[in-house]
Amino acid sequence: MNVLHTLRCMGVTTLARVAEAAGLGESDVQSELIDLAVAGLVTYEPGDFGGWGVTPAGKTADAAGVAAELDAAGTKAGVAGALGRFLPLNTELLDLCEAWHLRSGTMNDHGDPGYDARVIALLADLDRRAGVVLAALTDALPRFGRYRVRLTEALRRVEAGETRFFTDDMASYHVIWFQLHEDLLVTLGIPR
Amino acid sequence: MRWIHPLTSGEPADVVGGKAHGLGVLMRLGLPVPAGFVVGTAACRAYLRDGRLPGGLAAELATAVAGLPAGRVSVRSGAGVSMPGMMTTLLDLPADDLTDAVTEVFASWHTPRARTYRDLHGIPHDLGTAVTVQTMVYGDRDPRSGTGVAFTRDPTTGDPVPYGDVLFGRRGDAVVSGREHPRPLSDLAGREPEVQAGLAHAMAAVEAHYRDACYLEFTWESGRLWLLQARPGRFTGTAAVVVATALADAGVIGREEALRRVSPHDLRRTARIVPPADVLARGLGACPGVAVGRIATSADAAVRMAAEGPVVLVRPETSPHDLRGMAAAAGIVTARGGRASHAAVVARAMGRPAVVGTAGLLVGPDSISVAGRALAAGTVVTIDGTSGEVAVGEPAVTTSLAEAEVERLLGWADAVSGDTSGRPGPDRLRAAHDALTAQA
Repeated sequence: MNVLHTLRCMGVTTLARVAEAAGLGESDVQSELIDLAVAGLVTYEPGDFGGWGVTPAGKTADAAGVAAELDAAGTKAGVAGALGRFLPLNTELLDLCEAWHLRSGTMNDHGDPGYDARVIALLADLDRRAGVVLAALTDALPRFGRYRVRLTEALRRVEAGETRFFTDDMASYHVIWFQLHEDLLVTLGIPR
Repeated sequence: MRWIHPLTSGEPADVVGGKAHGLGVLMRLGLPVPAGFVVGTAACRAYLRDGRLPGGLAAELATAVAGLPAGRVSVRSGAGVSMPGMMTTLLDLPADDLTDAVTEVFASWHTPRARTYRDLHGIPHDLGTAVTVQTMVYGDRDPRSGTGVAFTRDPTTGDPVPYGDVLFGRRGDAVVSGREHPRPLSDLAGREPEVQAGLAHAMAAVEAHYRDACYLEFTWESGRLWLLQARPGRFTGTAAVVVATALADAGVIGREEALRRVSPHDLRRTARIVPPADVLARGLGACPGVAVGRIATSADAAVRMAAEGPVVLVRPETSPHDLRGMAAAAGIVTARGGRASHAAVVARAMGRPAVVGTAGLLVGPDSISVAGRALAAGTVVTIDGTSGEVAVGEPAVTTSLAEAEVERLLGWADAVSGDTSGRPGPDRLRAAHDALTAQA
């Protein structure tokens, strides 16, 4: 998956996370990032909240790149249709994240394993339905297949008891989904 | 009629839905409610079973509509248990044929989102919703019209002061949309004193009926008040304690009932702004806690400024580009979105106090503004993720609001449980709940 576009949908992040999201080796991604930095499309910022990020020029270049990609594939209608089916699922996912955090208006203290198990089972059910949309998206543009792999991994870890992969980790189900949402909007050239 | 009931039928909420049940209460209290009727949940269950409206309903609808004043109607969902925002509501429909509208509301019972909500809250999937049909009233009819929502007491402190929002010259959906900046309820007294007096009377009557703080939705049309919904307020946290003890002190409810109305979670110590504060705006509290910091209007600025002290990140809404700014910030404010938005989810995941859905908040490159009042980036603000308040400067903050009320309630709890050993408050309340359950 294209490194510039991957980073565009993630915000500012680490080399390891870009490589994981793109499904590429770290050394290849690092070399690509350096080339992109030389071209002025990405930049590296040190510090606690720093990392690799796309510059305004990089954003423009990526927008042109994804528009050309979509034209070449001739599948704009397919991607737009998938966004239409994604949005109700997005509302549902956010409902589930809210239910994971809050219960009857107060913070869920995760002291009721039955309740948590119910929310996780509903996430798994949503994930199955999202799979249909992801499959259609991947038919339209194969790079969307990475989200299927990443979301599956996050769900597997939640179900295995690593519940920070529901919303809390930067590789959590919600964060990956948030990037997928961004990717759909960027790919179709829709402003937020 | 078999499927349709008058609003005043007095049938329970599982037959006519919670919304129509509440409207019936209002009418029996002699309060002004637009004319209407309700298609009961039995008709929805028949629809869910057979895949079509039950025989005879169309004819009953025609008869019931003929009994309403001429004009357009609203068609609202409402199950026996609360499922807020999960099903369809249709406004401003010609009343000549409502079968399609009723079918659409029934069908919305089965949206995946509504299913998920029922699974989460243990609501049976075959319960069905009622449909309330009422004559439309227009908050946007003329300058002497408007709409509002109100609690009979302040929902964040529990104080016996009505709290709410009004929009002059607008319809009810505008208040809920958050696109327009509402005015405080107190503005009503100056512009529409008769509406205000009618509302005060309704608040007292509704509180007396439910013996609790209540929530009301209302519209006034050409200076005339109409009530559109009423239900108990379901306060949480400090407000739940303050209302329960006040009602017990006033003899409205007993001490045991006061104890039942407060959950051990309500006793959690959460940082809160202490009134009075210079409140710039009030949105939805999305993650409890207080954050104090300088305003940053972009993720990049938040990261840069955080090196020199705490910042509050203020954004229209958030994208993944804001993630690092949210991580760097002490607190987060957004103009759009609800408690289930990407920003709210990330804020809670990161443990950052957050206010979302701040109606009327505009975020510029170097400043923010609300209703014409502008604050430059870098200005210190304090946000309360429980009440949704965004206050200018550094008001006082406490983790022990209403300490006296909490202690009094816990004294009643010890009297019920018979255990006066020193334990944390939530344990004392839990022991009282156990004792009350054992008695019952």
